[in-house]
Amino acid sequence: MAEIAFRNVTKRYGATLAVDDASFTVADNEFFCFFGPPLSGKSTILRLILGLEKPDSGEILIDGRAVNEVSPAARNIAMVFQNLALFPHMTAADNVRFPLVERREAPAKIEARLRDAAEKLHIGHILHKMPGQLSGGERQRVAIARALVRDPAAYLMDDPISALDARLREETRVELKRIQREAGRTLIYVTHDQEEAMSVADRMAILQHGAIRQIGRPVEIYDHPSTTYVARFLGSPVMNILPVQATGTGFEAAAGALQVSAQAQASVAEMGLRPEDLRVSHWEGGAGVPATVSEVEPLGGYTVVTLTAGAQPLRAMLRGQPDIRVGALVGLGCDPAKVMYFGAGGEALPKSAAPSLGGDRI
Amino acid sequence: MKDESANLSFRLTLPAQVLVLFISVFPLLMQAYISLTDWSPLSGQSWTQAWAFWNTFANYSDLLSDGRLWSALGRTAFVMAVCVPIEFMLGLGLATLFMDDFRGKRVFYSILIMPMMVVPAVAGYMFFMLFQSGGPVNDILSMFTGSPVTIAWLSNPKLALVAVMVADIWQWTPLMFLILLAGLVGVPEDQVRAATLLGANPLQRFTSIVLPRMKTIIGIALAIRVIECFKIFDTLFIMTGGGPGVATETISVYIYKIATQDLIWGYVAAIALAILIVLSVVCVWALKRMARVRA
Amino acid sequence: MSMIRLENLVKRFGAFTALKTMDLTIADGEFVALLGPSGCGKSTTMNMIAGMETPSEGRILFGDRDMAGVPMGRRGVGFVFQNYAIFTHMTVRQNLSYGLRATRRPADEVVRRTNAMAELLQLTPMLDRPAAGLSVNILQRVAIGRSAIMEPAIFLLDEPLSNVDAAFRAVMRTELKGLQRSFKQTMVYVTHDQLEAMTMADRIAVMDHGVLQQVGTPLQIYNDPANLFVAKFIGSPGMNLLHGRPVDTGGEVAIDLGALGHSLPLAPEQAAAARRAKGDVVFGFRPEQAARVGEGQGMAMPISFVERIGARTILHLGEGAASAKTVFENDAGFEMGRALHFAPHPSAVRLFDAASGAALRGH
Repeated sequence: MAEIAFRNVTKRYGATLAVDDASFTVADNEFFCFFGPPLSGKSTILRLILGLEKPDSGEILIDGRAVNEVSPAARNIAMVFQNLALFPHMTAADNVRFPLVERREAPAKIEARLRDAAEKLHIGHILHKMPGQLSGGERQRVAIARALVRDPAAYLMDDPISALDARLREETRVELKRIQREAGRTLIYVTHDQEEAMSVADRMAILQHGAIRQIGRPVEIYDHPSTTYVARFLGSPVMNILPVQATGTGFEAAAGALQVSAQAQASVAEMGLRPEDLRVSHWEGGAGVPATVSEVEPLGGYTVVTLTAGAQPLRAMLRGQPDIRVGALVGLGCDPAKVMYFGAGGEALPKSAAPSLGGDRI
Repeated sequence: MKDESANLSFRLTLPAQVLVLFISVFPLLMQAYISLTDWSPLSGQSWTQAWAFWNTFANYSDLLSDGRLWSALGRTAFVMAVCVPIEFMLGLGLATLFMDDFRGKRVFYSILIMPMMVVPAVAGYMFFMLFQSGGPVNDILSMFTGSPVTIAWLSNPKLALVAVMVADIWQWTPLMFLILLAGLVGVPEDQVRAATLLGANPLQRFTSIVLPRMKTIIGIALAIRVIECFKIFDTLFIMTGGGPGVATETISVYIYKIATQDLIWGYVAAIALAILIVLSVVCVWALKRMARVRA
Repeated sequence: MSMIRLENLVKRFGAFTALKTMDLTIADGEFVALLGPSGCGKSTTMNMIAGMETPSEGRILFGDRDMAGVPMGRRGVGFVFQNYAIFTHMTVRQNLSYGLRATRRPADEVVRRTNAMAELLQLTPMLDRPAAGLSVNILQRVAIGRSAIMEPAIFLLDEPLSNVDAAFRAVMRTELKGLQRSFKQTMVYVTHDQLEAMTMADRIAVMDHGVLQQVGTPLQIYNDPANLFVAKFIGSPGMNLLHGRPVDTGGEVAIDLGALGHSLPLAPEQAAAARRAKGDVVFGFRPEQAARVGEGQGMAMPISFVERIGARTILHLGEGAASAKTVFENDAGFEMGRALHFAPHPSAVRLFDAASGAALRGH
């Protein structure tokens, strides 16, 4: 078992701040995901946990014990790299056995572990093959098996499935989650794919410029982003974040499609609405706020529509394949409960109990 | 952190550094010492006693007025100026050819790099035979002209130099070919294709895409060949012995002759050291220029 | 001129057949995506159109002109490589103007057109920066601009987004589509990502193992896949496919799904198709097109995994042959291990021949 924690950890490379005062605690048996754009410090955090890098300041704790000075080998943490790094001249089985053979474990124990890992990962039938003969997904599973047999306290994975085809990634991420549950180990995972992060993570941390912007369950972060950065970063299509204009009694955005009273939100600078929460109806003489359709992207199960209300571009994600054409006039509305409010610094404002006005008729 | 690791690497490599120092610096110092004397192995004294023959810079002032040395130097430079560009052009042409697929590529490849693997002494004898007045070269020429050709290649001062250069080109074009081929393979194929699709003709592709990427490797290839050519000796010596007279006497041949025949080692050391200094200055200058061009 | 016709196109590499008899016509100004998994022959097809590979059999025509023997530099196609193939030893300006300079256009024209292209692609501020070290989304625009400046009638793009970060991909998809609208060229786009193909292409050509599986608009392919491969490959997640046997239930036709019981009665068109089926069928429906129903009404499968991705909840149901996925918009307390009662909308059901995998149609 392993609980892994950072206390105010900072790491610089020359003038670059790679990790900026990061604090978090990954609970035992948790699937924890770091999600951020390239160079946001994800991989550096993994290297710090592994012990390949030393923090400039702050403490790294494993099960409450400071490990700043503990060597990587003594930390008992396994890493699955992005490029998988299987030995090409060994069979899959020998690759999996390798860490145990290195540690001179008893042959019987090695075979038992191998069988166990092979069963968990469904690779029993390919153990005799060389890595070159395996598909991307199979190589992936062999690499994980190799990490599994070591029986480490925790696993780290650095974007392990990014090299796979889109379809295979969808399958593999579910597999990964299952394996982690069955293995009952802490798993720290780095990805730049938000679907993957939301799918697998028990909790996730959103990174920007080496700093942790928000930690929480994916659903929590999705529904209650702490800043406009997080709001924009998570969710596809991107959340509509709209500057507000003052009206006599409060504020409005997107030509009045979103409204709020001054009593409810005194210091709102931007309003946010997820594309799936924007309601779009045919314009038949005045329901909602008028908008023009500028682009329609049918995805089969969904249709993404880009609209202009006033001069404000907005995106809506509609269910199914509605009959909407480019250039058409539509009416916009939304459930006021779904609207998010942000202050001038991009910080989320608490939703007031007072109901917002208008825009909810469709 | 950085200083610490630099310090560690210094300490770890110290033994090797000392060894290198001993191997390269010690002979150099010994040579410098002898070059300031009139010492010769015939003097009956060990080289350590060479100070007894101290003549300060007399050897160096002698070499400035040594006509045979200067003409050997000039001859070497001439061979270099003719052979290296020809080897470069041939090597580049062949390397470009080998970027495409054609039948028998592997066989041609093996044949092409064979000369490089022939022992220079053997190559020397081979060309010695080829250029005999009754040898194959003349036979072939006879076939073309229709009348018997009996050119005395190796005893004619001008033709002997030509024969020597032909041998050098034969032997060292393969090295140029190999280095340049390695460079060509390193040019991203997609960039060349992209240029093609944008309408660039082969010459434009070569000058605008291939050449800029080959700059470094071309510099290295030329540097290797210039240095090697300056030291040209073995094949040539077997073919002509530097003759007829001094017609093919290059700098190495000259040094060899005065070292083994005249046995004036103090003077030999002075020449060798002077050449080393001049070559080093030229090399450093060339490398710096290359670095600037790349930046 | 810029219509592309592929007639009986075959490409063999030694004993390996990369492409088996491809026939495809791409209209002038059309955006067609060649979609398939790696090794399906899509890149080979593209390379033959560009002239980088020679077909083993068949013809490629641009308009009425047979392209056999026309070298790639003379075909007038723009090509954007997967790695962009930017000339890294040049500046952005030199990259953009390369084609114009190579074809010896007058200097003032080169300057004018390069500046115009830079303006269009918002590259003006970095025109004189060295191309090495620019970010990938800028490199992509340079790669496109460098080809577009030659005003090719045909534009070929080889997985241009596969090296791009997932977060950027959505932005760049929109950007690419906008560019195609402004250039109005015939575009052929190779990708393995069905989402890219769906969002950008006018028509999609789905390929697998060197065989063209289906050609159609994104919605045609999504709604009426020609076979099991297309059904599985398109959509995220792909179509649910369950083996079954048509049964007549007093005038109406349903599908006997074995342990899962009977499906709801089929819609008339599907029923007609089912009646014509010889033997077993595959019963298909999209994960988005199933609704929850009361106990005992539709199918029941245990929930084996719940994925909540933003607003969508993907339920993984059952296991092995009797497995399916459904997508719901809300997280209505789905619990792992509990049974989900659901039924696909009858109009959304698609049937396939179990033996051949081909779609069964009602007419």
